[in-house]
Amino acid sequence: MTTHDGAKDTIDAKAQVRRAVASLAEKTSNAESTTSDLSIDEELNLHSIGWEPVELVSGVSLFSTPAGLWNWGEGEIASASEAHAQAFKFAIQRIHKEAADAGGHGVVGVHVERRVYSTHIEVTLLGTAVRPVGAGRVESSDVFVSDLSARDFTMLMVAGWEPLGLATGASFVYAPRRTMGAALQQQGQNVELKNYTEAMYSSRESAMERMQRVALDLKGTGVVGVKVVEGPMSFATHAVGFAAWGTVVRLVKDAHHFVRPTMVVSLNDLGVAFDAQSLH
Amino acid sequence: MSDVANDLPQATGKRLEELEKGLFTSDLSVNEFLLIKEVGFHPVGFVMGSSIYHTGIQTRKWGQSLELTKLTEAMYNARELAMTRMEEEASELGADGVVGVRLDVNYYEWGKDAAEFIAVGTAVKAEDGVSRRNQLGKPFTSDLSGQDFWTLLQTGYFPQGLVMGTCVYHIAHRGLGQTLGTTGQNVELPNFTQALYEARELAMTRMQDEATQLGATGIVGVRLEEKSHQWGSHTIEFLSLGTAVLKTSNEVTLAKPTTIITLDN
Amino acid sequence: MSEGPHDLPEAAERRLTSGAFSSGLSVSDFSACLEMGLEPVGLVQGFCAMHQGAYAMGGALSRSLSPYGGSGGGYVQNYQCPHGMISTEHRAWGQNYEQTWVQDAWNQGFTSAYGRMLEEAATLGAHGVVGVIDSETPLGDVGVIEFHVRGTAVKVLDTPAPTSSPWSTYLAGQRLAKVFEAGYAPVSIVAAVSSVRVWAYCVTEYLMEGFSGSMWTNAINVSSSYEIEQIVTAQTWSRQRVRSSARAQLHGDALHGADLRLVEREFEKGDLEIEAVLRGNRIRRFKDFDPLPVPQPTVRLS
Repeated sequence: MTTHDGAKDTIDAKAQVRRAVASLAEKTSNAESTTSDLSIDEELNLHSIGWEPVELVSGVSLFSTPAGLWNWGEGEIASASEAHAQAFKFAIQRIHKEAADAGGHGVVGVHVERRVYSTHIEVTLLGTAVRPVGAGRVESSDVFVSDLSARDFTMLMVAGWEPLGLATGASFVYAPRRTMGAALQQQGQNVELKNYTEAMYSSRESAMERMQRVALDLKGTGVVGVKVVEGPMSFATHAVGFAAWGTVVRLVKDAHHFVRPTMVVSLNDLGVAFDAQSLH
Repeated sequence: MSDVANDLPQATGKRLEELEKGLFTSDLSVNEFLLIKEVGFHPVGFVMGSSIYHTGIQTRKWGQSLELTKLTEAMYNARELAMTRMEEEASELGADGVVGVRLDVNYYEWGKDAAEFIAVGTAVKAEDGVSRRNQLGKPFTSDLSGQDFWTLLQTGYFPQGLVMGTCVYHIAHRGLGQTLGTTGQNVELPNFTQALYEARELAMTRMQDEATQLGATGIVGVRLEEKSHQWGSHTIEFLSLGTAVLKTSNEVTLAKPTTIITLDN
Repeated sequence: MSEGPHDLPEAAERRLTSGAFSSGLSVSDFSACLEMGLEPVGLVQGFCAMHQGAYAMGGALSRSLSPYGGSGGGYVQNYQCPHGMISTEHRAWGQNYEQTWVQDAWNQGFTSAYGRMLEEAATLGAHGVVGVIDSETPLGDVGVIEFHVRGTAVKVLDTPAPTSSPWSTYLAGQRLAKVFEAGYAPVSIVAAVSSVRVWAYCVTEYLMEGFSGSMWTNAINVSSSYEIEQIVTAQTWSRQRVRSSARAQLHGDALHGADLRLVEREFEKGDLEIEAVLRGNRIRRFKDFDPLPVPQPTVRLS
């Protein structure tokens, strides 16, 4: 959000543009090329704390699951949970390496895409590697990966927290089968289905616990922005999967630095602006 | 050693233990996290409760508008179970309350006439160690976002609990004679009007009763939801939700807001 | 999306000299332009329809059973079956290879369309083109792709007439204003593509079908885990290649606001084609960066 000082800034803006365009006639720069998918707002946020984008990086992994895995069974579908964890682990390792090779210290704004197929689980990570301006390289194992936007990263750093990595946990479970007798008994009654509740509950808790385990391994204090994805598999509706992931953080400075926000009332109307969409 | 409450399934124990030892998890955004800290609270852990409930059938007369009390009870019980378990997890963690509570309903193909009711949120604790639990000694719950929580506290009010009232109502089908009589006219349908009015009133009254039980003086952020679940279009559940609040401080730190015009869209 | 015949140069010239300008800018983008001292002078565009050689044979080459042994000096990686037994159905050999002809055709098509757009802009005496949109549309199933690049040509007020090719950017409006304010000048849009074909070998095939503890897989000594390595390698290569292609167009400038899209087409189980397109804005620093103070956080009352 920018507040402008009216006429003075407008004249300055035009002068900037003229100067910019004139500079294009000069020789090209000898600097090291950088690539980034951050918007200008995000880039400015980073710069305000002395960080800069370096390179667009990614990591991908596909993990096969056993044939016939999704036929009805009992309890947790261990192979699927295992494949999910492995796919994430390898994808994260790869994006770490690309970031370190490019000279980055961490990756922000990571877009996490995970797909569960009947035959395999696929994880794709894409984000921009960043580093403190002019800093040297770090080891691939010291790189942090986070799905926080560059803006959120900036806010956290200002408050004294640093991201350590992405923690994920998943659990897949078969829906318990109701026996015929039990089904008839429950007809017409409004009751809780205890064995179903137990199965779903267990699975959800396992997924969260696994995520917490990763956070503890990274020596973090907490996990923020946790996303929980759950639901039946499209190819096997009797199998339900739960997955959670978030960014592990740790307090760097002695104490949390308070942000002291100002309360504002916006005078914008929230109506839709007229848009000449002649190109679409 | 975590003393898991009787009702919570076994799996919960280990996860809560880790949270008690100091790790926090939260589904709050970074903005919300920072605002919670501003008002002296710290996230303790992501808490959840769920219940898979058989929603059963209740016979109803085709031509009558009335409340289906058995179904109302079922909807209420199911959500209560989910909320209570979530509160128990928060209690386990020694939390003062839960913010950002979300109530969801999942339907599974294999669970005919059954639905899973879920309550999730982030448990928080006051950093000064003074208990902020409600009058019943339980952690407060609220569906307020981090931003709304911050703003509410500036006014000197404090959340006591998420209150809800529900009513499952069957709306009479109109007889053929009636339908033919009014075709083509602009006319109010007294059946529908009366039924909907009745149902909403019941839901809101029940919600208010819950607030009274908590000793609250008001309810904020009230919203009314209507769902048909899996019963067809003439049976509707009216759910009224809000956060009950109590004035706990005469100090109102609500500064005069600055007015801004944003220049980006 | 345009359905009519391609613009003939003559028709374009008539349109461009007619006077009143047309543009694809929204009202807020338009006012931002004026704020920056940019005067929109017209809507400019370029078209090009490219024929991709390999697909022209009715898809025979892409879909045949025997792999094309990758040529053009591109990336090639072979995979050998680790099993002892051979049968007619057992895929003893697989390959990942770069489809250089697909990449070349795409690059040529895009560059032509882009170049024509810049020509139109130059005709109008414009300094640059903002709010560029590009689309690549396959026409039917005959291996022809139509490239369409368009944008709004602008003149920089109080500046001498341009002597070089117009600069261009995908950005418009406030986002572009901030880029200038931050000390960057837009140079050109950048678009790069990579295309890789995967012919699965037996191990990949089994893993894609869900591995089973048969005697076949037990004989595998590839790895103890069941990662589908061949496809992972192809996907990783695809993204790395498209980035290095884009970098080659930067000449020391930065790629800003990049957008990476990956499309995977499966012909048969384990026979894939992965195409990645990376778009972005090539920008160059024209003044030293003034670090901003940390923005003031606010809570908005709705």
